[in-house]
Amino acid sequence: MARFSRVHLGRDRRRTLYALIAAILLFVVGEFVHPGFAGLDSVEAILTIASFVGLVAAGQTFVVLIGGIDLSVPWVLNGAAILLVILSLGEDGRALYALLLTLGMGAGIGLLNGVGVAFLEVPAVVITLAMNGIMEGLTLGLSGGLTCAACASYAPPVVQRAVHEPIFGVPAELFLWLAVIVIVSFVLGRTRFGRHTYAIGNNARASYLAGVGVRFTTVLLYALSGLFSALAGILLVGFGGQASLGMGTPYLFQSIAAVVIGGVYILGGRGSYLGAAAGAASLTALVSVLLAMNMPDYGRSIIYGVVILVLLLLYGREEGEG
Amino acid sequence: MPPELAARRERRPFTAHLVGQNIGLLLVFALLAAAVLLYCVFFWIRQQSLPGNFELTSTVNNTMPLAMAAIGQTIVVLTRGLDLSVGGIIDLTNALAAVQIQDNAGSMLAWTAVVLLVGAALGLVNGLLVGVGRLQPIVVTLATLSIFQGLAIRVLPQPGGAIPPSYTAALVDPNNPWALLYLGLCVLLWLAFRRSALGVAIFAIGNDEGAARANGIKVVQGKVIAYTLSGVFAAAGGLFLAATATAGDATSGNGFTLSSIVAVVLGGVNLFGGRGSAVGAIAGAFVTTMIVNILFFSEIDPLYQSFYEGLFLIIAVVVGAVLGRLLRRRR
Repeated sequence: MARFSRVHLGRDRRRTLYALIAAILLFVVGEFVHPGFAGLDSVEAILTIASFVGLVAAGQTFVVLIGGIDLSVPWVLNGAAILLVILSLGEDGRALYALLLTLGMGAGIGLLNGVGVAFLEVPAVVITLAMNGIMEGLTLGLSGGLTCAACASYAPPVVQRAVHEPIFGVPAELFLWLAVIVIVSFVLGRTRFGRHTYAIGNNARASYLAGVGVRFTTVLLYALSGLFSALAGILLVGFGGQASLGMGTPYLFQSIAAVVIGGVYILGGRGSYLGAAAGAASLTALVSVLLAMNMPDYGRSIIYGVVILVLLLLYGREEGEG
Repeated sequence: MPPELAARRERRPFTAHLVGQNIGLLLVFALLAAAVLLYCVFFWIRQQSLPGNFELTSTVNNTMPLAMAAIGQTIVVLTRGLDLSVGGIIDLTNALAAVQIQDNAGSMLAWTAVVLLVGAALGLVNGLLVGVGRLQPIVVTLATLSIFQGLAIRVLPQPGGAIPPSYTAALVDPNNPWALLYLGLCVLLWLAFRRSALGVAIFAIGNDEGAARANGIKVVQGKVIAYTLSGVFAAAGGLFLAATATAGDATSGNGFTLSSIVAVVLGGVNLFGGRGSAVGAIAGAFVTTMIVNILFFSEIDPLYQSFYEGLFLIIAVVVGAVLGRLLRRRR
């Protein structure tokens, strides 16, 4: 009987719904633990932090949908953050040029990942891992370990405003994320490119035989992942004001976790960005609740892992029933 | 291939077959030889002498933890899996060793056994989730990595603890490269494992899980054992790391997740499963250490270290793939 009632709501939508319900429940729990947790300001702050995870998760969703993975997130993000402040020197006049170059760098690195996966047939884990090392070395080496004179520059005011400026009382960053959610969902759900992505994720060989440009699409998807990592880096500098070393490190685990929580199938072919975005929100809400409970670092990292395992087991059961 | 072509194809001579089958192994030893040569050149330029016993000993001792982790990673990769929790297991076992081992033979033996058992238990958790729970290895081990790292910090909140000097001497003698004996033992174990029923099962699972199952191989059991073994070897890596550092640090294992994958890939183990050798992975671990040594002596800014490691990884993988394709075409 349970199966009949589920027919009306596709598996992907159901999982998106689960992630959203989880986020809401967590805010309720937080309100009990720490009164004021579910207040407007607090929710806005938590969602703003979630948006950075969400942006990286957008790129991660693209590559996970074809059964890939992008491990180069940490240092593409970190490199982009540092590149932005070095190029812009905190001046609005140089902001556009810095933004374009930084986003171009992210997309370029993603493109190289994609070429490695699609044309050289290197496993995604290896090429993106190596690229992460390359970016780490270049970022540290070229900035002298973040000791260069320009490294201490602030993000241009225009970038800072793009994150903080309230629009109808809500930080601009959240509108930006909303725009990304709408655009990415549209691209994946309603365009040829999106359908090709799902097709490759389900069966690359069959897609190739059906005339899908598998290699071209793969390269493009990895480029998009790099682009979103760089975008997250730029906005994080705008959020915090300055760049720092290691600022990208948490985003690898969190972006993959958000994608998994949101019900994107890690072997590809199934899932939606709306789910991953809801996953980012519930993950950040979970972290915030644990922080409000004064949970030490180690406890948080244990709970992180347990939550993901439990979700995987639940989703796996569902798969078996289906 | 059409049948007439297949019939016309001549049987390859024995040596060509051997080269074709072990191309990954040959490549990594060529790479290792090149790295050692380059190291000697730089060493000569800087010191006007050739590296001696001291350099050999420190290289071997520094490589031991990675070599152990790489052996475990190899076994999992052979089943077409991946163990990202290696770093977390090293963190936890390293912390345990530093907190618990006392300066007497009984304590050392007992805690060595306990730590290896803990590693086995952690690996077993991964194995059960992947094998019985039928979950994706990458996500499972990413989640358990987070759990193990948390537990490690619980065991040893700040770097500290102490490893008795006699324990260090037994595992990684600072004066002579006796640790090579452990590696020799591992190679012997590997050769036996490769020919055992379990070894055949693990290679079969990685080559074609469905066919392996159809041929009566216990796939679930094989996977569970593979992850458990990976846990044991990672724990051994944690012990060697603690012995080398003579103290514990609950975060010092983190880098081994990535470097064990690097060593495995350099060692010619196919990430799509079913092909490779732990001997190659050990050589891959040595190449990784040699790259660091070379960078040190070539006066390259250490900040660029990751850059060169990443670059070498890509070059090794691409060259391996291209050579493999050429050989296959020539057949």
